[in-house]
Amino acid sequence: MQRVMQPAWLRQLSWPELRHHPWRHLAALLAITLGVALAFSVQLINQSALGEFSAAVRAVNGEPDFELRSLRSGFDEALYERVARHPQIEIASPVLEIDTQAFAARGERVPLKIVGMDALVAAPIAPALVPKPDTGAPAMAMLDPDAVFLNARARERLGIGAGVGTLRVQTATGSTVLTLRGGVAAAGAALAVMDIAGAQAHFGALGRVTRIDVRLAPGADRTTVLRELALPADVRVAAPDEAAQRVSNVSRAYRVNLTVLALVALFTGAFLVFSILALSVAKRQVSLALLGVLGMSARERMLLVLCESALLGAVGSGFGLALGTGLAALALRLLAGDLGGGYFPGVAPSLQFDPLAALVYGALGIVAALLGAWLPARDAQRLAPAQALKGLEAGVQRDGAHWLAPLLLAAGGVLALLPPVAEIPLAAYASVACLLLGGIACVPAGIALLLRAIAPPTNALALLGVERARRQRHTATIAVAGVVASLSLAVALTVMVASFRDAVTRWLDVVLPADLYVRLASPGVAVETITLPPQFVARCIALPGVQRVAAQRVLPMQLAPSRPPVALLARAGTDPEQTLPLLGELLPVRAGVVSAYVSEAMVGLYDAKPGSLLRLPLADASASQATTEVFVRGVWRDYARQFGAVAIAGDDYRRLTGDTRVNDVALWLAPGADASALQASVRAAATALGIDGSLLEFASVSELRRISLRIFDRSFAVTYWLQAVAIAIGLFGIAASFSAQVLARRKEFGLLAHLGLTRRQVLGVVALEGAVWTSAGALVGLLLGLAVSVVLVKVVNPQSFHWSMELLVPWWRLALLCAAVVVSGTLTAWLAARGAASHAMALAVKEDW
Amino acid sequence: MALLEVRALAKRYADTAVFERVDLDVERGEFVAILGESGVGKSTLLNCIAGLDTIAAGSITVDGVRVDTLPEPEQALLRRIQLGFVFQAFHVLPHLDVAHNVGLPLLLQGRHEAARVAAALAAVGLDALGARLPQTLSGGQLQRVAIARAVVHGPKLILADEPTGNLDPGTAERVMDVFAAQVREHGAACVLVTHSRAAAARADRVLTLTANGMHEVA
Repeated sequence: MQRVMQPAWLRQLSWPELRHHPWRHLAALLAITLGVALAFSVQLINQSALGEFSAAVRAVNGEPDFELRSLRSGFDEALYERVARHPQIEIASPVLEIDTQAFAARGERVPLKIVGMDALVAAPIAPALVPKPDTGAPAMAMLDPDAVFLNARARERLGIGAGVGTLRVQTATGSTVLTLRGGVAAAGAALAVMDIAGAQAHFGALGRVTRIDVRLAPGADRTTVLRELALPADVRVAAPDEAAQRVSNVSRAYRVNLTVLALVALFTGAFLVFSILALSVAKRQVSLALLGVLGMSARERMLLVLCESALLGAVGSGFGLALGTGLAALALRLLAGDLGGGYFPGVAPSLQFDPLAALVYGALGIVAALLGAWLPARDAQRLAPAQALKGLEAGVQRDGAHWLAPLLLAAGGVLALLPPVAEIPLAAYASVACLLLGGIACVPAGIALLLRAIAPPTNALALLGVERARRQRHTATIAVAGVVASLSLAVALTVMVASFRDAVTRWLDVVLPADLYVRLASPGVAVETITLPPQFVARCIALPGVQRVAAQRVLPMQLAPSRPPVALLARAGTDPEQTLPLLGELLPVRAGVVSAYVSEAMVGLYDAKPGSLLRLPLADASASQATTEVFVRGVWRDYARQFGAVAIAGDDYRRLTGDTRVNDVALWLAPGADASALQASVRAAATALGIDGSLLEFASVSELRRISLRIFDRSFAVTYWLQAVAIAIGLFGIAASFSAQVLARRKEFGLLAHLGLTRRQVLGVVALEGAVWTSAGALVGLLLGLAVSVVLVKVVNPQSFHWSMELLVPWWRLALLCAAVVVSGTLTAWLAARGAASHAMALAVKEDW
Repeated sequence: MALLEVRALAKRYADTAVFERVDLDVERGEFVAILGESGVGKSTLLNCIAGLDTIAAGSITVDGVRVDTLPEPEQALLRRIQLGFVFQAFHVLPHLDVAHNVGLPLLLQGRHEAARVAAALAAVGLDALGARLPQTLSGGQLQRVAIARAVVHGPKLILADEPTGNLDPGTAERVMDVFAAQVREHGAACVLVTHSRAAAARADRVLTLTANGMHEVA
């Protein structure tokens, strides 16, 4: 007769157990809930942010068939006439995009993108950008060169309320005041729309456009049209969704990284389920044995435990999905979808629930619960009913598969050497998983080896501990494995973050050598629009109290359509060894070729290795060649620009482009110079050149360091939280596994009481065992965590973000972490034993169940 | 003075009395069997004598020492040195081999006397099984391990709680032979709690425990 697992068994056999220990099972439920919630909320947040960002990009770019864009920062509008007149082009819409800063109600400067366009032409292509004049505004206000129309985000960020009629925005040398005339529907980051002619006039870009949106006539052949247009060398054809695709590409590694971290919580959750079910099975050993005697087959006992866990996983997953949705909604409201990576600037997405993702993450929760239940279920299956009923069940020794641990560790080592897949370090993540599982799988063999080396002690208490560990190795393994699982992850993340922070701190020492930095706009904002003239640099050199001056021009260069722009740094000074945090030796200068120094990301993304030639869009548009070949002399570390940076000498840049403007100026102060007096002199020097000196921003090196490290810490805030959750779940798992062991040993304690052991001695034995096993686990967890941290620091980080760094092991912090785990483990064992070794422990010898 | 003196002993669980007015004297080397119905408190009486359970009234003295008023560590020390236990369900530690199980009381006293363990094993007929783990032994063999453990350290008083309760009649008789012989050989006093009249017949004196006290069986 085929026997099957009866649903009624869950109700009659499992439910009473669950009801009897509600808190214990609630903890397992909570672990699954938290794991699923974290992973699902990260998925929802990223998905919502990406969706919102794409929608915003679509709204701004409209829906042309293609765009004509400059390789650098714009091109002559003469091209527009040629494009518009082409017979097979239905609509050609010229656009001038200006990145600048606007002055908010309270005076602070807010980044603002101004889109200058011909509203009458652009309407069919980009309806979201069509200005909607306020009530009372002239019907054709959109053609007024001083009128500006803001989207909702710009109004919110600038704090523009009813009755405000003007907006002050920054220009190349000062500011201009525009008239607020209405709004635009475009979502996403702060954005303003104005007439293209007005924008050209206000921002000194007469005769220039940054893109032309093109819609072809029905039946037109794109290739033919492009051939006939004979585009200049510095103009390229771009797809309208290029920006959205770019953000999706570049943020993918970060999103996968976060999801993997969140899944770590689910992994430790699975371990907690394991501990709690191991406890449950240990406690129900005699009951299960009796059920076996009464006719429940071994397979049915295993299924019973697995079904209990699946049910736990399903309920936990359900709660987790609900909690994850709530967390995502909260995070989107508080963090605006940016979990620290800075990939979705300016978007404030609304929650986009994904039923398919919910199903996947819900299933993951159940799988985690089932994985956690597997070994306890196998214990229930392998139980020898007759022996267990006599109290002689010594526990199952899981000595099989000796090959598994070394195989997993070796696989972890090999996988760490593999390259990324689609720019995601999938092999490295698999390596981390293999190392963790392999390390945990090593524990039984490691304990066996250790115990083989120990002769039976002559002290009774030591003998009890050692022989118990020798014969019932799996119980020691559970405790040690719990410590290993939670601690190794914590150690790995601690080392990774500490290494990164240390690397950033050292890097800041090199890249911020001056005392004071001056600029007109925040770093990375409006680098084309807001610049300083070369005369300003000359004036600064002449100021009293200034020892040395170095100016820098920073501007974006589009090297590949699928990637974000690369930063070009044209720097004063010719000695890169002094001014750049170089990696390795510099190659000799190649005669006749401009020397360039690339960041690590350039090597990873563009294969710009030292000795190679790199083509940059660096020639003046009037030149016959739109690009210039540069020789890569060396590589430097750049933690500020993830998508690549190229540094060249300022003289080379000016010679190639004729552009003499700079974005920021570094000042070295003479000994004893008064910084505040110098700031006033610099402002005065700017004003003398026709620059609004009050708009200059000053930052001291200490201030910049503080801000940089604050941004760093904010970026890793999510990591810290996930790490804390993983440790908390891990510690709870340790508590549960010790409780399981102590409960299973009640009869042993009873017998020891009869033989004359005091309660204190019994507690001492258990606490000592707890201390020894947690220490062993801490040692293995520390070693394993260090191995995993090497993979994170040396493989995952460079492959995900193209950042290399030295491994820094914060020994004191790790020692504290290990000590905290050992103390917690010992205390937990002692507390668990206290309950079992009560004054009634003698009665345990009478227990039949 | 008797080795064990129990006077006017009463045990209650909340308001429910288990037994009251129990008096018992056991002389050195005397073998006393106690019969009684299930639930009358026979095992509880043994636990009270060993200081493993509290009492409601009365007194218990072992070798001149008031057990019931001793602090817990002293009670444990008394059990370690003066008492030996044999249980119905054997209660051997599954992770210790037979020799270590038998030698456990000696180890707890810091005594490393392998010869004594070997002699105890030989006395119960298990001299060849010292290295075996308990899981590999039969019920009769396990109880002989427990008997060897109860006498190995030379206790003055052995408390046996249904030592043959889990055994078939034939095995029970052989085990009882070994038990009685060991008790006599070591000159220990013994309190045997049992349902078995056959087992009780080996005692010097047979008593019956009721809710109202201890009664001599004629």
